[in-house]
Formats: sequence, structure tokens, C-alpha cells
Amino acid sequence: MIIVPRPVAQLPWRVIFLIIAIGTMGLMTLYSTAGGSLQPWALRQGSIFIALLGVAIAIRYMPVSFIKSMTPLAYLAVLGLLVAVELVGFVGKGAQRWIDLGFMKLQPSEFMKPVLVLMLARFYELLPTGDIRKWRAIWPAAALIGIPAGLTMIQPDLGTSLVLMLGGIAVMFLAGLPAWLFITGGLATAAAIPLAFSFLHEYQQRRILIFLDPESDPLGAGYNLSQSKIAIGSGGVWGKGYLNGSQSHLQYLPEGHTDFIFSAMVEEWGLVGGVLMILGFAGILGWGLRVARRANDRFSQLAAAGLTTNLFFYVTINLMMVMGLAPVVGIPLPLVSFGGSAVMTVLLSIGVLMAIDRKSQTDTRRPGWG
Amino acid sequence: MNAPMPNLVAKPERLRLVGQKRKLLAMMHQRLMLVLILFAGAILLVAGRIGWLAAFGDSSSERAGVGAFVPARGDIIDREGEALARTIDAWSIAVQPPKVIGNKLDLARKLAEIMPDRDEGQYYELLSSDRNFIYLSRRASPRLVERVNALGEPGIQLMREPDRLYPQTALAAHVIGYTDVDGNGVAGAERAFDEWLTDPSRRAEPVQLSISSRIQQALKAELAHAMEKYSAIGAAGVIMDIHTGEILAMTSLPQLNPNVAGEGSADARFNRASLGVYELGSTFKPFTVAMAMDEGIVKSFSQMYPCPKKLTIGKRTIGDTHPFGRACSVAEIMQESSNVGTAQIALQLGAKRQEEYLRKMGFLDRLGHELPERGRTLYPRDWSEIATATVGYGHGIAVTPLHLATGYATLLNGGLYRKPTILKVGPGHPAAKGERVFSEDTSYKMRALLRMVVTHGTGRKAEAKGYRVGGKTGTAEKLVNGRYSRQLVVNSFAGVFPMDEPRYVAVVMLDEPKGTKETFGFRTAGWNVAPVVSGTISRIAPMLGVRPDESREPELDSVLPYLYENKD
Repeated sequence: MIIVPRPVAQLPWRVIFLIIAIGTMGLMTLYSTAGGSLQPWALRQGSIFIALLGVAIAIRYMPVSFIKSMTPLAYLAVLGLLVAVELVGFVGKGAQRWIDLGFMKLQPSEFMKPVLVLMLARFYELLPTGDIRKWRAIWPAAALIGIPAGLTMIQPDLGTSLVLMLGGIAVMFLAGLPAWLFITGGLATAAAIPLAFSFLHEYQQRRILIFLDPESDPLGAGYNLSQSKIAIGSGGVWGKGYLNGSQSHLQYLPEGHTDFIFSAMVEEWGLVGGVLMILGFAGILGWGLRVARRANDRFSQLAAAGLTTNLFFYVTINLMMVMGLAPVVGIPLPLVSFGGSAVMTVLLSIGVLMAIDRKSQTDTRRPGWG
Repeated sequence: MNAPMPNLVAKPERLRLVGQKRKLLAMMHQRLMLVLILFAGAILLVAGRIGWLAAFGDSSSERAGVGAFVPARGDIIDREGEALARTIDAWSIAVQPPKVIGNKLDLARKLAEIMPDRDEGQYYELLSSDRNFIYLSRRASPRLVERVNALGEPGIQLMREPDRLYPQTALAAHVIGYTDVDGNGVAGAERAFDEWLTDPSRRAEPVQLSISSRIQQALKAELAHAMEKYSAIGAAGVIMDIHTGEILAMTSLPQLNPNVAGEGSADARFNRASLGVYELGSTFKPFTVAMAMDEGIVKSFSQMYPCPKKLTIGKRTIGDTHPFGRACSVAEIMQESSNVGTAQIALQLGAKRQEEYLRKMGFLDRLGHELPERGRTLYPRDWSEIATATVGYGHGIAVTPLHLATGYATLLNGGLYRKPTILKVGPGHPAAKGERVFSEDTSYKMRALLRMVVTHGTGRKAEAKGYRVGGKTGTAEKLVNGRYSRQLVVNSFAGVFPMDEPRYVAVVMLDEPKGTKETFGFRTAGWNVAPVVSGTISRIAPMLGVRPDESREPELDSVLPYLYENKD
């Protein structure tokens, strides 16, 4: 029998295995969409992925109290970066999203996703229990969400902005704000959609119109979606075989290495590959919610649930987008799409989740509630 | 919670807080479960959707299986492989008024200059309309596209789109048909084989018609010449292989250019050869004789009939252009195309048997070929005695020229009726099964009779030296407002060659030819249609591999002795 050192044996291997499996699948697809080459994506993505997985495991050993105390600082720092993007932003693809650091492009709105959740968790932890149904439980949180969401919106990056808001609202919902607030909020949003629509950029409006009727412009802006659906459909049950996807290799599928990577993968691995990947994500999400349920202080519970919800939005919005169930909003598929910022966000979130998990396991005898 | 309580007597305030926290915790767990259900639902939805896409795919995924060189619409080629219809990448010019950046008035002025089919005002109206997309020109020439492009207006879209090209222009236009602007077949083979031409799995293979461009060209040239010469309003011609039923050429004049089908008049679009029905007159007489021979009524061409100048049947009187006024043989009846004589043979045959034969020859139904243009024939509703007599010489029954060609094929190919076809007969498309109408013996005897009409009868001008043409003329008066007109006639000639071993039938028809000096004012078929047949056969027989041979003739001994002139 091989003796495994205790700290190694204690790692949450099931979830780490899932992450490595999904990440490997992503790297293989990047290798394939580059036409069977490590350049320009697979190698870079692979090294970023391994480095960040190490960081995530390192975060696992941080005390939750340390993470908690660092949260406001991180929030302010990322907010500063968001403002900086506006000022010195690198203009790419019609939207200002990156700060070019030379070795990589930093996308601060990506970082905001986990940091915002942690910040809100911290806020509701500090809020006295009795005040949860009061006005002061709402407006500071609304401001915490609104400022970064607004900054992201004017970049303009509608997708990330929406995910920021949804993630924040999820934390508010879990924190126990009265349910009528969300119901009326939902109704008001539905009513405001036509108004909001008129404020969108033309390309954003077009994407939504095309989502409603993709065949209206199959060669123009609806092209992404039509090609994506063709790629998924042409894979069939077992796929065309690895390195044999014609849609992605012949450049029919745009963004086959970033937002539409799932289509490229399903074309080659078929329904079976797609469903296995979705099940993999479902496993990670289930684990995240279990961590939230097991957590024994308010911050940990809210943070774990919020981070998991974030991850959920990432995955489902991307998948629904590539399958024509949601408008094309430019959200990558975590751990699979090419792009350092997204991998960083997701793996950092998972690191924090593991840290919370570790704490609740060591604290089982001493529930901190009450 | 079993946390140790420091004080046994808890303060009420603290108790209340603990209660609140518990409630909050319970609510959070509840909401967490709600979120979990939401997650599961969304994941099921996504998984279901991917399954749906994988199972039913996207309709356009079929295209992925088609190679890059397969045209959007299949080609149509003739029997020698010559292209008749192809698909090319053409330019189209359109404008998107909301996207126009420049001054609309200026733009309208410039457009009117480049494309004068609309004026400035009309262009301005188009440009300021709230429509999103308007075609300015489809299938534009590269030069026009270049000039429009030079305007540099982003609101004008220059697009490539597949377009149908008919490289032989008007040749065989009615057979090939044409498509509408969106590429759907509207007429002719384009419509008949629309499914084949658009099916991604089949369209790589061209549709090969039985038409031969060269034969078609000869027929069309001869017909057009005659039509002009005799100021006819229309003409039609069919050349058919009598053994396979393949239509080698089919022409209807006036013609249209399928490249610009919309510019053709309704008359030009009308296919006289397969859709138009006409009383074709005396060309029917050989059928009557053949029926009577098959039934044993006419035993030889020497059989005599009383041929008065006028024959009265019921209330009607029948006359001849060359009245005999004496007894005449069957051979003579054919030679002089006698209505009186033929009517008597038809009456002996009787209505029932006549109708039966005509039905077997396909004259009472639409023909079963592939083209959508299939004329419905007209025939007597109550087959009375007088109807029997007139149908016997081709009046009171209207069929298409293609029917007539099929009938002659049946008469001379050994007596088998075969559906005509527009597709080349070959490995993938065998000839239709023949159905016996006439006995082989009857069919054989008809060779001499029809050859005699050309050598000694009304069809002399149809002779093409060395090609042993046989056939029959037909002149029928047109019905105008319900009365037969003496001025307006339809002339036809059904010719078969080479008569000693018949292989091809050529039917030509002139609609309303006028007399000329050359024909001494005559408007009969022997004068104007027969030369078309002669000219056409002289041109096409070499292409069809028929050797000119003046020493070969069918056995004419069964006919020639019974002609009056011969006895002199």
C-alpha cells in the first residue's frame, strides 16, 4: 500500500479530478481548433491552467478569516482597475476591456465577479441579523453591485455586467432579503426591457434581435449562431472524431477557441462528449453548493453559494448561447475557453471554495453559529 | 444547536436574536435548495437542447456533406453532353436605405445616370422609403457593378448570388424551361426535374436530356425560316426516335430567351409542340387506314371505294380538294388525300373501334412525358357517325404535335405505343415498355403507303434526296369563333425516315401560314410545310448516322400499281 502524505490525501480529489478533466478537454479542443498544433493557444493556456491550479490549492490553505479581511481591499483594487480600463483601456473588438500588462491582458471585470460576491458576503455578515428586512440591508449592497456593473456596462460589456448583477442578486437572495423584493424586481425588469433595449449599442441590439430570429441574417451577425448550431448538429451522437471537425478547422465557426469552443468540441466528440462535459460542470456546481450547506459561518455560506452561482451563470449562459437558447453575449466557458482572465477567476473561486470547505471540516465540532 | 449556554437564565433580547438567526439559517437553506433546483433545471435544459441538436441537427448541416464544387442547382445537358443550363455566380445590386450615408438626392441622380431604367425621382423615392432592403438590379454586368461600386456608398450592397445561365440562349427554350429569380424551376425541364436539380445528394450529376443541340438547331432554323417566309403566327416541330420514344428535338416558335424569361410574351412562353392542341387534319388518314387494315377491313391497297365528289353523312356533306368522281383505290385515297374515301373507311371501322385505337395510341389523354407542359386533347364527346367520319381524316379531334409524332412512331416502329421521354435513354433510364396497337404486318405495309405519298402524292416537296422520306401532309382549317375559317389554316407534315427501315419521325406544323407567289397562293401543307421537313431531314440525317442511298427503297409494289397515273 502506498502511503500518501496526510495533507495530500486530504485534498478534495473528486473536485480536483473534475477540474483537471474539464481543463484537459479544453486544452485538447484548443489543440484541435489550432489545426492540430500547440501554438498559439494550447501551450499558453496549459501553462496558465497548471500555474493557477497550484494557486488555487495554495489558497485552500489560507485561513478564511484572512480571505475575509482581504476582501474589502481586493474590491477597492479591482474597482480601481475598472476605472483604469476606462482611462487607459486597450481598445479591442469595439469594446474596452483589457489592460495590457505586456505578458498578458488583464480583464478586471472578470476579477470583479468573485470579488463582488465575497464583498457582499462580508457585508451581510457584518449586518446585524435584525436589520435584514430593513432598507439598510439593501442600498449598500445595491451600491456595491451597481458601481462595478455600471463601469462594465459602459465598456461596453453587457454579458459580464449582467453576470455581475445576477451573481450579486443571488447573494442578496441567499442572505435572506424578503422574497417580494425579488419578485417585484423581476417584474420591473421585465417591464423595463423595452426601454433598456433602446439604450443598448447597435451591435448589442442586433445580437438580441438575431437571437429571436437567427435566420434573419444568416451571413451577417447571425452567422456565429448558425455556424455554431451546425457544428453541434453535425457532430451527431459520437462526433466526427478528434481533429476531424470541419466547422472549426475550416474556420466556419468564428471564435472556435473562445466563446464558441463548446460547439467545436461537440462537433468532434458528439453528444456524448458534450453531455459528459455538462455532467462534469454539474459535479463541480453540486460540490460548490454542498460546501455552502456545510459551511458554518455566514460569510462562508454566502461566499460559497455566491461563487458557485457565479460559476453556474458562466457555464449555463455560455452553453445556452452557443446552442441558440440565449443571445450571443460574449461569455467564455470556464476552464475550457482560451483566455487567462477567465481561468484565473474560476480557479481562484474554486480555491476560495476549497478553503471554506477545509475550514468547515476542521470546525465540525465547533459550529460558529449561535 | 447544542452550543453550551454560558448563562442558565438567558436574557430575552439574546433569545430573540437566536430565534431570528435560526429562522434566517433555515430560510437560507431553503433558498439554497431553490438555487440547486434552478441549477438542475438549467443543466437539464442545456443537455436536452444539445441532444435535440445532435438528433435532429440543423437543417443547413446537410450542406456540409456537399462538396465545394457542387452547384447550387444542377446542370442540364443535352444527349451529347453539351451544357444547356448551368449555374453561375452573378452579381446583384441592392440598396439598404437606412444605411445610406451620402446625400440621397445626389445618389439618386448618379444612380439614374448609371442605371437609366428608373429615373431620378423614382430612385429618390426608393432611397427615402423605410424599407430595409431593395434590389436595384439582379444579374448585373461586371461593368455596371464596377460603376456602382465607384460611387462608394456603403448603403449599396453588391452581392454575389447563384444565377441560371442558358449558354445556348433560345435554343430548346421550351424544353429546358426557365427558373424564377429565386432559382425555382417554373417551366420545362427546370420545373419537371426541380427536385433532382436542387437535391444536394443528386444535383452533382447533371440532368441529361434526350435533346440534341445540333438537331434542335437544324429544326429550329428550318422552322424559323418557313415561319418568316409564310408569315405564320407560330410554328412547332418535334423529332423523335421511333424505337425509344426519345424526343431528339422539340421547338415551338416564337421562342423566348430563358436567360431573360420575363421579357418573353405569353405567346412566346407557350409551348405549341407539347401544350398546344390543334386539329391536324389529313395527317390522321394513315391511322384510319392502318386501323382498318388491322381489323381486316382493308385487305390491300388495291381495295376500291366509290369516291363521289360529295359524300353526305346525316346532315353534313364532305368534299375533296381534288375530287375523284369515280371509284378509287386505297392507294389513290392516300395519294390525293381524299376525305371522302377516308371517311368511308372510318365508317366501316365504326366509332367504337376507332375510339379504342385512338385511346391505345394515347390520343385521348395527356401524354406521359416528364415535362409539365402536357396538352389535354379534344375529341368528340358523343362519337356519332359524322364524328367517326371526320375524326377519320383528322377533324373534330385536336392533339398536340407531340401526340402526332408519338402516333407516327407507333405506326411505324412495328406497332408499339411507347410513352415519349425527354430524358436520354441509357443505363439509368431504360426505354418505356411498348404496348401493342398495330400488328407488325400492318406497320410494315404502312411504309410503302407513306413513302408513296412523298414520291407520287401531296408530299412531294418533303423528299430529301437519298433519305427515303415517307409521310403525310395535313391542312386543317382553324376554328374561328366556332366556325371553320377558309383563310386561317394549320399546316402539318408528319414525316418518317429512312422509310425502308424507319428510325426517326419528324413532325412540323405551321400556324396560320399565308400564301406566297412561290406557292401560287396555295396555303396547303404540301407547299409550305413539306419543304421544312425536307430541309430539316437533309441536315439532321447525317448527324443521326443515316446514310444517303438512292438505290434503297421500301417495296413499293404493294402501292404503285394501284395509282391511276401509273396505269397510263
